[in-house]
Amino acid sequence: MMSYLQNSALIEMSISCSVVLMYCLQQLFRSTFPMILRIALIVILGNAFFWPLGFAMALPLAAYVRGVTGDLSIVTTLLLWSSVIGSAKPCPNGFKVFIVALALLFYPFALGLGMIDPYAWGYHSFILLLGVVCVAIVWGVAGWVRIVWIIALALMAWSVQWHESRNLWDYLFDPFLVFWALGSLIQAWRYKRREKAQSGYLFRAG
Amino acid sequence: MSRIVAFCFLFIAAVVADVRMDAQPAWSTFKPPFGAIAPLDSEEIPGAVKGDSFKSHAVGVPQDDWLPDTGALSVHASSLIALNDGNIRAFWFAGTREGAADVVIVSAVFDSKSRLWGAPTTVIDRVGAERGLSRYIAKLGNPVPARMADGRLQLFFVTVSMGGWAGSSISTMISDDEGVTWSKPERLITSPLMNISTLVKSPSVQFADGRLGLPAYHEWIGRFGEFLRIEGSQVIDLRRMSAGRGTIQPVVLLQSNESASAYFRQTRGAQQLKQIPVSQTTDAGQSWQSAPDLDIANPNSAVSMVTLNDGVQLMAANNIETGRYRLVLMMNDGHGGRWHPIQILEDDESLPNDQRREFSYPYLISTNGSDAHLVYTWNRKRIRHIYFDGAWIEQAKIQLTTPVTKSLEQGVQ
Repeated sequence: MMSYLQNSALIEMSISCSVVLMYCLQQLFRSTFPMILRIALIVILGNAFFWPLGFAMALPLAAYVRGVTGDLSIVTTLLLWSSVIGSAKPCPNGFKVFIVALALLFYPFALGLGMIDPYAWGYHSFILLLGVVCVAIVWGVAGWVRIVWIIALALMAWSVQWHESRNLWDYLFDPFLVFWALGSLIQAWRYKRREKAQSGYLFRAG
Repeated sequence: MSRIVAFCFLFIAAVVADVRMDAQPAWSTFKPPFGAIAPLDSEEIPGAVKGDSFKSHAVGVPQDDWLPDTGALSVHASSLIALNDGNIRAFWFAGTREGAADVVIVSAVFDSKSRLWGAPTTVIDRVGAERGLSRYIAKLGNPVPARMADGRLQLFFVTVSMGGWAGSSISTMISDDEGVTWSKPERLITSPLMNISTLVKSPSVQFADGRLGLPAYHEWIGRFGEFLRIEGSQVIDLRRMSAGRGTIQPVVLLQSNESASAYFRQTRGAQQLKQIPVSQTTDAGQSWQSAPDLDIANPNSAVSMVTLNDGVQLMAANNIETGRYRLVLMMNDGHGGRWHPIQILEDDESLPNDQRREFSYPYLISTNGSDAHLVYTWNRKRIRHIYFDGAWIEQAKIQLTTPVTKSLEQGVQ
């Protein structure tokens, strides 16, 4: 049970690291690689992260990353993987706003502000579970079906204790999801501003 | 169509998760130590227990010795647990300095018959921890042993992958042979922020359903206590014991199977009271409320406490507002009375500031409810062990209100 947990977590982390690296490579070359190349890169990089490389390192590269980041939530992991591997509909900005707003409410209390600890709800709260299902339904109805699958898989993963945690929040939410949502929103806002500035020339008086 | 399939899958996942949530064990009452907290049987001879060879020692002279030297330059954070054969096992960390990569968790057994400590053995080092946990570990700290309901020993200890102690997580190992060998370490998940900033320092308490209640604390953005409910090597629930940035290292003393008090090391701001903060629960740790401070000075240093089987409580603490140069043993009747210093264990007050040594991180246990073993860091160089046998403690109770104790109080307040 223990080694299975650790190995599956390392495999997950290896794939996530290789997906991030591949995303960086695509940005570097300012192009989207063909699917076959993307899969090949993920397999190669994933193996490089998973197996101990020797030298002065006693652990696989993924274990060093995991030491710092901990296990990523299932939602973050699947959003990350699906964003690069698949060609599905991109994440709506509304969802990103929701993630950032949730973080602003969640983290201060979870990290010690007052005696109410929303993190503890992740062990036993039916209301939290109901809320999560409602969020999935709302976004599914709004047309973003991918998140319905992802949240359903996160609930399944929590039910079978896929990770070390028995807290539902750890399967749904983590700081990296918040950083990504915030970064994407800022990027989208800057893009919109630039577009607006450029379109302004066409209608400038005189 | 794909949307309908997705909703169906979500429905199934939600039902499975609901079933899983229903399977979560209900909260339990506490299991008070030593059976029940009740007055001593008048025929019971204090200190006369199986395997206890200290009863013949003279009253008024606690037995003291040192934990075995590991050759390390720095040692700290010692802890104790009673073994089934009547001996005591100690744990502490040792290395070139606190937080160094070469710090290892060490253990040694105190033979209660020969009154000698055995040779120290390494329980786990940094490399062993990172191999077992499948993640990078930069340093180790604070080992805290516990006795599981099935009789096995469990060791909780702190690991850090990045940064200082604020980046800590708690890991745990289990031993089937009283601490001779240990399972691979496993990680407790206690925080939503990369699982960092949770540490352990004080003994666990047992729940009536066999699970453990482990007082832990956060030490980063917030500095507060948290009560972890542990099943095997997993946290199955947690409850906040305090809030804000002023309370760490909770020690939990049970009063009944429903009520308990937690006493903290204060980490308050300069303008705030340097006393021991307190929280209380009346529902077996499900909710905690802040209570008035104990009127005992605390210089941002750990306290250790234990309840004996007649309800009397002992506390080892640095009862000064700054520094850790004095360590005293205090006693309380367990019925809401005052805490009285009964023994000055260390005191460097007469020395100039730059020559004062550090006496810190006390850890008290009782093996039978009438005696007490204390270990503490002695100037970061050694770990000192003091044994207060039942007769000594009985004498201390008698002397609580005598002029001798009063003069002692005046001397240390």
